Amino acid sequence: MIQSAEVKDRIREYVLEEFAKAKGIDQITDDESLTKNGVIDSMGIFRLVAFLEETFGVRVGDEEITHDNLESVNAIEKLVLAKSKK
Amino acid sequence: MAYVLQQLLTKSAKSYPEKMAVWARGKSLSYRELDQRSNQLAHLLRQRGVQKGDRVALFFPKCVESIVSMLGVLKAGGVYVPIDPQMPADRAGYILSNCGVRILITTTAKLADLMPESRELLETVIFVEGDTAGNQQIAWSKLDEFPAAHAPQVTMVETDLAYILYTSGSTGRPKGVMLTHQNALTFVEWCAEEFQVRSEDRLSNHAPLHFDLSVFDVYNTLEAGATVYLITEDLALFPTSLANFIENQKITIWYSVPSALMLLLLHGRLTPAKLSSLRVILFAGEVFPMKYLRQLAGMSQSSDLYNLYGPTETNVCTYYKVERERLEGMEKLPIGIACANTECFSVMPEGRLAGKGEAGELLVRGPSVTNGYWADPEKTKKMVVPNHFQEHFEEKMYRTGDIVTIGDDGNYYFQGRRDSQIKSRGYRIELGEIEAAILSHPGVREAAVLAVPDEVIGNRIRAVVAPHIPGSLGVLELQQYCASRVPKYMIPELVDLHDELPKTSTGKIDRVKLASEAPVTAK
Repeated sequence: MIQSAEVKDRIREYVLEEFAKAKGIDQITDDESLTKNGVIDSMGIFRLVAFLEETFGVRVGDEEITHDNLESVNAIEKLVLAKSKK
Repeated sequence: MAYVLQQLLTKSAKSYPEKMAVWARGKSLSYRELDQRSNQLAHLLRQRGVQKGDRVALFFPKCVESIVSMLGVLKAGGVYVPIDPQMPADRAGYILSNCGVRILITTTAKLADLMPESRELLETVIFVEGDTAGNQQIAWSKLDEFPAAHAPQVTMVETDLAYILYTSGSTGRPKGVMLTHQNALTFVEWCAEEFQVRSEDRLSNHAPLHFDLSVFDVYNTLEAGATVYLITEDLALFPTSLANFIENQKITIWYSVPSALMLLLLHGRLTPAKLSSLRVILFAGEVFPMKYLRQLAGMSQSSDLYNLYGPTETNVCTYYKVERERLEGMEKLPIGIACANTECFSVMPEGRLAGKGEAGELLVRGPSVTNGYWADPEKTKKMVVPNHFQEHFEEKMYRTGDIVTIGDDGNYYFQGRRDSQIKSRGYRIELGEIEAAILSHPGVREAAVLAVPDEVIGNRIRAVVAPHIPGSLGVLELQQYCASRVPKYMIPELVDLHDELPKTSTGKIDRVKLASEAPVTAK
């Protein structure tokens, strides 16, 4: 079973390193919107999903790639934890 | 007949006062509300000193107030300047000072993003949300105090400026394309006729409002008394949500860049049922790969599909209505023939018209063509040139910089660029602007920026950089530096660091050789 704190840290680190920093954003809070400020763009969403699938061994279907599931670090963590319980 | 854009609203507000005009994130305005709210904003702007031709900038994420703001500025006789809400402060500040903006419509968060020296230029700030208000800061609720029934009296003619759209400039700074009411209306009237936009139609607005594709969505809606559904980031990024949105809102007319449609095809879980309400699908801004166009045509049997072509300077100048029966064997999608009230020429370097099969530059004349770039007569002179095909009076043509051929079917075919401008996700990008941004970094000795073709988004951007001191610069550092100077869609996704860039025999950077190398940082 993956630990919740670890999941969140890895997601935050990935988003920061992979998207935010290259766009001049040094910090993101866990409930901050990743989509409103252009941190993640339309292609980035799919890189993020590939990362989640690889790192946490979950399968995210196209129909689950939604704003509610991916809008913030908190939302992504919730999605991963819900999926890994199954 | 309408000769200024706001008349389209006034007319529809009389015919359909209670009809929904605009919808965004669950919020909507009827034609009456849109008309009255924009009247109030126009009065407020006049009270704050807006005179005819004054520029008012809009700097906030898309919402129903965006449309109120556009119309309010026009009714005040002003010129609106939509700025990408994701633009870095340095570039947004440049636009504000370049066209002398003194009044800004924004949010508290976006205002805080601006640099202090940019904020100092502003005499009045109007907030579309929140209720912060000081002497120079006005809350949206203040509109209530102004007359709603009529717009202020301002004498206007069709050749007055309506809006300025900033696009990438090759010398390192964006340039402001000046568009008049007539420029826009020429296009809107052609669209109304060609696509038969009716009051029952439900249009989507996918493009950002600083992008000229949105001119169709907004003004053809107003022209027809139809409804426009603004697609905000929370929808645009998620293909299945977007597909559901099209189905649930029963969108009848869609207009976007091809890459948005490709994401829907690849990840939207599309079914013919989801697209069954669509009767017209328009796309523009980049080349639509035939493979995906065939898929789209199969998925949306009842829609007419159109490839529209034209730089911001002409809005749209040619169009091609997809002939479904030709799709199977077609290798390349034409950009088609000239729109009504528009004439196109394919011109050879020596000035004569290109013949069949010859590649010439596309030049455009007609009332949709811009007068040029704001405060840049030099660049204007280069791109907006005299029409040398007629000698009796002065007339302008726009040089698109696009190389075209004329096919046996009589259609124009896009072949490439005369310069280093590229398209990525439909955004027009001057590679020179990114190069200039990178070269301004004190640690950079040489830099070349190249386009890496990508099936879905058109091009990815790759920078090859040689620092003064080998090993002294990191990829992330360079990307962050770019982020402070260019919009997000122009930040190089791939950055290769070299000790030195390869040169041609004449000592120039060998871009052909660089392009043939595999990028090092595969991110």
